[in-house]
Amino acid sequence: MSNAKERKHAKKMRNQPTNVTLSSGFVADRGTKYHNGGGRHFHQAQKQEPFPGTSRQRQTKMTHHSPVDPDVKEQSSSKIMFKKKGGWKAGPEGMSQEIPKYITASTFAQARAAEISAMLKAVTQKSSNSLVFQTLPRHMRRRAMSHNVKRLPRRLREIAQKEAEKAVHQKKEHSKNKCHKARRCHKNRVLEFNRRQKKNIWLETHIWHAKRFHMVKKWGYCLGERPTVKSHRACYRAMTNRCLLQDLSYYCCLELKGKEEEILKALSPMCSIDAGLTFAAVHCLSGKCQGSVLLYRANRYPREMLGPVTFIWKSERTPSHTSESRQLWIWLHPMLKQDILEELKAACQCVEPIKPTICTPGPLLTTSEEKSQTELPDEKIGKKRKRKDDGENAKPVKKVIGDGTRDPHQPSSWISAATGIIISDLTMEMNRLRLIGPLSHSILTEALKAASVQTVREGEDTEKTPHHWWIETCKNPDSVSLHHRQEAIFELLGGITSPAEIPSGTILGLTVGDPRINLPPKRSKVLPNPEKCQDNEKVRQLLLEGVPVDCAHSFIWNQAICKNVTENKISDQDLNRRRSELLVPGSQLVLGPQESKIPILLIQQPGKVTGDDRRGWGSGWDILFPKGWGMAFWIPFIYRGARVGGLKESVMHSQYKRSPDIPGDFPDCPAGVVFAEEQAKNLLEKYKRRPPAKRPNYVKLGTLAPFCCPWEQLAQEWESRVQAQEEPSVASSPSGEDSDSRRDKLPCAPTPENTDLWSDEGGTSLSSCSEPREAMDTECPARVGTEWVACQDATGSLLCVLRSRKWLKQLSTWCGPSSRDKRAARRASGSGEPAPTRAACLPLLERFPRALVWVSLALLRKGSPEPHSMICVPTEEDFLRLRQDQLYCGPQESKHSDPFKSEIRKQKERKKVEKRQNKQAPTEREGLAGGPPAAGHQALTLGLWSGPLPGVTSHCSRVLLGFVTQGDFSMAVGGGEALGFVSLTGLLDMLSTQPAAERGLVLLRAPASPQYRFARIAVEV
Amino acid sequence: MAENREPRGAVEAELDPVEYTLRKRLPHRLPRRPNDIYVNMKTDFKAQLARCQKLLDGGARGQNSCSEIYIHGLGLAINRAINIALQLQAGSFGSLQVAANTSTVELVDELEPETDAREPLTRIRNNSAIHIRVFRVAPK
Repeated sequence: MSNAKERKHAKKMRNQPTNVTLSSGFVADRGTKYHNGGGRHFHQAQKQEPFPGTSRQRQTKMTHHSPVDPDVKEQSSSKIMFKKKGGWKAGPEGMSQEIPKYITASTFAQARAAEISAMLKAVTQKSSNSLVFQTLPRHMRRRAMSHNVKRLPRRLREIAQKEAEKAVHQKKEHSKNKCHKARRCHKNRVLEFNRRQKKNIWLETHIWHAKRFHMVKKWGYCLGERPTVKSHRACYRAMTNRCLLQDLSYYCCLELKGKEEEILKALSPMCSIDAGLTFAAVHCLSGKCQGSVLLYRANRYPREMLGPVTFIWKSERTPSHTSESRQLWIWLHPMLKQDILEELKAACQCVEPIKPTICTPGPLLTTSEEKSQTELPDEKIGKKRKRKDDGENAKPVKKVIGDGTRDPHQPSSWISAATGIIISDLTMEMNRLRLIGPLSHSILTEALKAASVQTVREGEDTEKTPHHWWIETCKNPDSVSLHHRQEAIFELLGGITSPAEIPSGTILGLTVGDPRINLPPKRSKVLPNPEKCQDNEKVRQLLLEGVPVDCAHSFIWNQAICKNVTENKISDQDLNRRRSELLVPGSQLVLGPQESKIPILLIQQPGKVTGDDRRGWGSGWDILFPKGWGMAFWIPFIYRGARVGGLKESVMHSQYKRSPDIPGDFPDCPAGVVFAEEQAKNLLEKYKRRPPAKRPNYVKLGTLAPFCCPWEQLAQEWESRVQAQEEPSVASSPSGEDSDSRRDKLPCAPTPENTDLWSDEGGTSLSSCSEPREAMDTECPARVGTEWVACQDATGSLLCVLRSRKWLKQLSTWCGPSSRDKRAARRASGSGEPAPTRAACLPLLERFPRALVWVSLALLRKGSPEPHSMICVPTEEDFLRLRQDQLYCGPQESKHSDPFKSEIRKQKERKKVEKRQNKQAPTEREGLAGGPPAAGHQALTLGLWSGPLPGVTSHCSRVLLGFVTQGDFSMAVGGGEALGFVSLTGLLDMLSTQPAAERGLVLLRAPASPQYRFARIAVEV
Repeated sequence: MAENREPRGAVEAELDPVEYTLRKRLPHRLPRRPNDIYVNMKTDFKAQLARCQKLLDGGARGQNSCSEIYIHGLGLAINRAINIALQLQAGSFGSLQVAANTSTVELVDELEPETDAREPLTRIRNNSAIHIRVFRVAPK
């Protein structure tokens, strides 16, 4: 045998276990040890048997002599077999160790038998984790082998059969333990739905929405975000020309009950007359109109904003009892609820919780259901169990109506011993639908019919009939006449072509019949009926004076009646059964006294009220009705041609109305801050998902904050900027000519180095800041003296948004261009307000040193702005070029250098090295992993500014004024439109320096673009 | 619909601007037939003229054409409405005739209070309007 061959063999055998070795043909005589089951070595070489072995072996041979022969025979036969296959051989070393003289047959056979059985077992049981057909070689595989056993070779069928059964069994365990049909059965479905709405509240129209909308979990609710069909433009058209329907039941309602004076006294510190009408406005107080108010923490106006709310006072039926207990509903966005509820409780001194059983019937209803729900999953679900369960819960499982997540023991109403005010949380106790658009009148009057007056026959017990409250009401002639008047006014609405013609915030109460009864057989589109549109005296009166106060009364204010109405609703099934029993199919169903009467409240929502153009756009009606009736009102509206919108549509609505969106456009209220943080997080995640080469490098574009707007820093920088400007300009005249030279002097006023110097002092004053994220970014340039910081402490350093109507009006006249609108110019010159002089702004700036102003921007030429776009101040040169070139789009931002790039590269290399080290020595990992983060390196993202931002205002070639919060191509205007906030100080500074012809022109730049575009700024009141 | 630009000075002189804000409401509208055209001052003149022409001419083969259209103008837009009607007539080589009607439209001004103690007020203001019927006559 050649040396090379041996080496090759050695290589082959290197990884083999020492006791079992596979031999190839050429090592016939080399032999290896063979381990037999009996624990002894036996040797095939029969010739060696006669040689003397160990004494022990000899002894065994002596004792069991007789069975040697078969053993030997067997051995020889096996030897032959092995030899044939080039199989097992005894090695020479084994020969020298122990050679059995003879072998006991029984033990040997036993050992073989065990071996064979083990082998058989191993053959039948596959060891790998794959299915049988997967073990087949590729050429033997057939299509659909996993489904059809007969496609497998016959020898594998049995195993495959077993496997398939096992898989089916496993699947069954994973699934819902009920077949599809059982799951679809109504009772189980209701159970399942009830379980699923325990975490997030479902609106009553949830199932309808879930089939047609992209759903999101927001603010503790499941809400439809946008329709799955492509309908952006269609929804806009619906708002402008037809009708858009939205389910706003997720809005929260807080009820205040008590004496009028007490409530007004408690609420007055929370709002200010400076920012608009308050709760005490006469027309709202009478219950005739809905009012809207901005709430602040008590006595903290203009800082510590809580959020915007709308409110309705319950109208008094008799004006004589003025001091009697009154009801006030405050409607607010769910994100604001927590803060406002706490503040209201504090303001009204309502600390004692009332047991929920007294005020809210909702939790009571859910407790029994929850019990039945919790019982089920604990126990084994089999057939027996099921039947037993059916027996127990003889009554059908009730659907969760209202808030399914609320803990029944959590109090939902609070009373104050001192003032007697009761605050209750009526969230999800009522439904609120919103109809937007001119056709909403036709839809309302078509879909809803006033309830018929019910008279009682003699001898009938009114208490037993389900709708006894209505029968009781109908006994009173005053109530009946009121109902008729309400009905008449409601019918008049059908003849008015737009909700904008009615006084804003008008409230109309009504009691309507079941809207499901006159449901059209097919979805259709209503058109305004020209016959109804008679221009008579009544319509004129309605348009001029609105709805009379007493017609605003509705039974929806009465909790007991609402509960009765919710409970006595005829189920859809019943209604359909009765409909099918009609003698003439398709004829009108008459339920008579069994028909439900539902108290509703209609509230007119004013559309666009600010600005000059498109006045009244997006006006509509809100309809409030008791819970449980959501779908019963929803479907009839849709069958009359209303299109449904989601959250995205409501953002569009507020954007085209140029009104701030709740809560995104309230950077000074806590909910707005939370919203901005969430938005920033989402945007950052989205940004990081793209590869670095396929996403904009914001550092190079000079965009410091592409995802969130650093309002605090912006306001602060502008404050210090203007103060720094004033110092040299005190001597010179404050005219606009030298502004550019002044600006040139301080393009880089705040530098990052100063940040650290002042952050400590700034931090103490800002410790109570509601925006901890932005408190970090606090910086005060070194030029400003310490006394400035001190005075800032006195005034309060918190960010605020200018909401004083007086000042906003003043600002809007200042912003208005004098060249474009001749009348405005004449007015401006007449009243003597050509430009905001420093003297005129001084009181404003003193009061609001760090304020933001809500502005709307309309692009002059091309471009559609995006959210987080930057609003910048144009330079003199830009105006010059604009004047010269009619088609001049705007300047471009030059490319910035990326100071983080080298750092990121270094980090990457470090990581690589680390990885290599980790590979070599995994034990060192812990020590290394702790190292780099401790050194202060956060994970840098390519294209994003990391660490504290440097001066945001002067980072780019044009000075930053503010940011856009909503911006898009506006289909209403036919051009780009944006809404956003600018720094008040900056705005005044800009206006005072701009020439009259170009006053109010700013530059807009999207975060991912170097192109600036011209836009006109406007403050609308 | 025209932008109802009344000289504001007259209204504002009577009222204290500190106590009230003026908000003009939209004029009362009647349901629109397909052959009603409301002229405004914002849309391009040519576009409005073309729209009227299209209504009168109908589709490619003269289908769906209206035999008459009504052009409405309010306030400042009266001039423009007349202009459009005359242009249509001039461009039709005698096949179109016009008939004008004038009317007065009541407009509602809302006065929003700035203080809690005051009720909102409404006032009625009159404005002139014109309704021009442009119709086809058989060419002789």
